[in-house]
Amino acid sequence: MSEVGMEYSLKGVMRELLSYKSGVASLLILIFLIGLSIYTVTTIPPQKAIAMWRGENNMWIENPRNAAPEWIEYFVHKHLPRTIKVDSREKSFGIVKAKTPIPETNITQIHIEMSFTYDYDDFPSEVNIFFHAKYNASENAPLVRLYWVKPDGTKIPIKEFNMRDPNQILYLSVDQSIYAGITSWLMKEKHIKAAKTVTTQQILFGKLTPSLSQGKVEVEKGTYKLVVDATTYNKGDDVDLKLVVYGTVYGIAGTDHLRRPLIIALLWGTPVALAFGLTASLAISIIQLFIATISGWYAGIVDSIIQRITEIYMIIPFLPFLIMMAAFYKLDIWTILAVVIVLSIFGAGIKSTRALVMQIKEYPYVEAAKAYGASDARIITFYIIPKILPPLVPGLIGSVPGFVFLEAALSLLGLGDPYLPTWGKMINDAYNNGALYKGYYYWILEPSFMLILTALAFAMLGFALDKIVNPRLREM
Amino acid sequence: MSGNGYLLEVKDLRKWFEVRRGIFSKPLWLKAVDGVSFELRPGEAVSLVGESGSGKTTLGKTILLLHEPTDGKIIFKGEDVTHLKDKKKLMWYRRETGLVQQDPFGAMPSFMTIYRILEEPLIIHKVGDKKEREEIIYKALEEVRLTPVEDFAPKYPHMLSGGQLQRVAIARALILRPSLVVADEPVSMLDASVRVEILNLMREMQESRNITFIYITHDLSTTRYFSEWIFIMYAGHIVERGPTQRVIRNPLHPYTKALLAAIPDPDPENRKRFRDVPPGEPPSLIAPPPGCRFAPRCPVAMDKCKKEEPPEVEVEHNHFVKCWLYV
Ligand SMILES: Nc1ncnc2c1ncn2[C@@H]1O[C@H](COP(=O)(O)OP(=O)(O)OP(=O)(O)O)[C@@H](O)[C@H]1O
Ligand code: SF4
Ligand SMILES: [Mg+2]
Repeated sequence: MSEVGMEYSLKGVMRELLSYKSGVASLLILIFLIGLSIYTVTTIPPQKAIAMWRGENNMWIENPRNAAPEWIEYFVHKHLPRTIKVDSREKSFGIVKAKTPIPETNITQIHIEMSFTYDYDDFPSEVNIFFHAKYNASENAPLVRLYWVKPDGTKIPIKEFNMRDPNQILYLSVDQSIYAGITSWLMKEKHIKAAKTVTTQQILFGKLTPSLSQGKVEVEKGTYKLVVDATTYNKGDDVDLKLVVYGTVYGIAGTDHLRRPLIIALLWGTPVALAFGLTASLAISIIQLFIATISGWYAGIVDSIIQRITEIYMIIPFLPFLIMMAAFYKLDIWTILAVVIVLSIFGAGIKSTRALVMQIKEYPYVEAAKAYGASDARIITFYIIPKILPPLVPGLIGSVPGFVFLEAALSLLGLGDPYLPTWGKMINDAYNNGALYKGYYYWILEPSFMLILTALAFAMLGFALDKIVNPRLREM
Repeated sequence: MSGNGYLLEVKDLRKWFEVRRGIFSKPLWLKAVDGVSFELRPGEAVSLVGESGSGKTTLGKTILLLHEPTDGKIIFKGEDVTHLKDKKKLMWYRRETGLVQQDPFGAMPSFMTIYRILEEPLIIHKVGDKKEREEIIYKALEEVRLTPVEDFAPKYPHMLSGGQLQRVAIARALILRPSLVVADEPVSMLDASVRVEILNLMREMQESRNITFIYITHDLSTTRYFSEWIFIMYAGHIVERGPTQRVIRNPLHPYTKALLAAIPDPDPENRKRFRDVPPGEPPSLIAPPPGCRFAPRCPVAMDKCKKEEPPEVEVEHNHFVKCWLYV
């Protein structure tokens, strides 16, 4: 117990901490995580994060589903498709729109050509067309004819139809009638019978060679064009549309099965994990410290009661109890935190701290304090706790990862916060959607990496502090 | 002050510690202080001398109510303070008394600055505002000659030497201007070179502030010029007490005689060995001998000594002895 007499100034501890590689590394990681948390909380306030995670107003409809992060390219050595969006309402290069009224009628011919370049090494994951038409629903709806023009000029009719809804959406890649149309066009014009496994996207973006019948197809790079011929029947009617060619990669974190950018959960998971882990370990340590000090200081009956409660607490199965609570009452994360704290305050730490207090209470400086009239409360808070706190700090820091993982584990079991996006929930989603089975490794690896990074930072910091506070460990 | 002019009256004071050998065995009583009586007037200094384990520290702490007295009475400024239940009265007594301990390092909260250490008693007793407290603290540091005070105030205890720290301890004990101070072997852990300085400092402040001083020591040689009274303790009893000069020139109790016989040597190094000299071991305090506690070691013990405890008798004016030889 010789360390008890040691002195620690913040400056000195910092200087010593920076002399350890693990200390520097842990501080850097922590600064990064804290910076990330501050950035997240200020740029995406919690209400917004919850709304984003719920995907309000179909806000992610133009995102690809289950897209990998963009950096995956460095591993597969392919230029993977990004999402391409072309909107006829925008005046830009490659978009041509012409309106020709037919004289003496209300009819107008609208011709739209939208071109874009496709130079990726893989097929898009999905193609959708979002219409934005203007017409009176009780009158004749516009007639629309769609053509797909490949880089070599081949023109494939896609569909001809009367609009059913001004905001109609054509899901090209899953529309059975479109698929039937273009495969029969392929038979008629190219005499190729596409294999059952060939998708709409492959026909639209692939080289139309006989190998299609074996299901083999290569991407044809170049400039594509979507041609729209529309006929409107009333003055003032109009037809516009937005073509979305969904990529297979998205941003730095990718998307999930609901098209949500995973970066939201990765970002939000950081402050949640830090707050949860730090609050839990800080609150538990401080409350335990006070309980232990009171127990050791007053001895006698108070001590016996606290010791018996501690022993009872030590045999309560913590995790099953917590899981039961969380399962019964769909608790939010802060309630879970409170339950975790309440379930841990009489932990085993009390025993060792109490022993230390029993020893310090006999120190001459405590007797001196009594002699000049310091009250019990004053002695506990200003004389004993400052003495036993420094050796406890490494343990406090070291116990943070446990709580971070606890939150993740609860989320993984579906018992976490129902609204906030967290790392654990991400893993839970990934698991429920068979991420590993389907090869969406990033979906699990990203949150796992963040969890491990956080755990590592606190563990290393705790260990480095331990070396400083308990010099016996220094040789290790 | 009470009518009789005494600051402190101790009447048949006892402090017994409960000791248990095992959980189920009957508790035993260790009689560390077992029936001690004396009086001190304001400004008087007394040296409390005795072998290790004779109960000096226990007596000092019991007087300061750091131990709950088992029996007897402590009367301070005419008030019975033996069992102070009233918090206000207890705080008054704490303010009126001070303690200087043996180990200056252990006596200081290592995580507080010297300034804070001296401020604590002032804060606790709500003395002055921040500004006034600063004045008091700087003045106190000056009085114990820790100058320049601005240099010492922000330091932590581990930056000071033992002697310097003991000065801080003295400043702390005196900062509330107490009228009674107990100093428990205040120099025994210091370098021989600084002992005299510290003793002189204490004596000076004791005299200038008219403090009643109980100076606990092993070192009989220092008592001669430190205090006007001397109390000799043996196995929980005060066996002889009186004016220092008279007791030293004319020791009456066989134990005191043995103690003094042990220091004829002017060399101070040899004087310190006095406590080894009376042959034999002090008695068990749990089951002390029924008669005189010194009987097993006393060269002139009589039959009576082994059966009955001797009373305290005033042999000459103010010179008391607890021995059958003088009854
Ligand atoms: N808190 C305590 N509980 C039990 N016994 C104690 C306690 N404090 C002191 N004693 C016992 O009381 C006796 C007297 O101890 P005390 O410390 O008063 O002696 P002392 O004269 O100050 O000795 P020293 O010169 O070594 O300081 C010793 O036998 C000691 O073991
Ligand atoms: S009472 Fe008897 S044994 Fe005790 S000191 Fe006096 S003579 Fe010696
Ligand atoms: Mg002692």
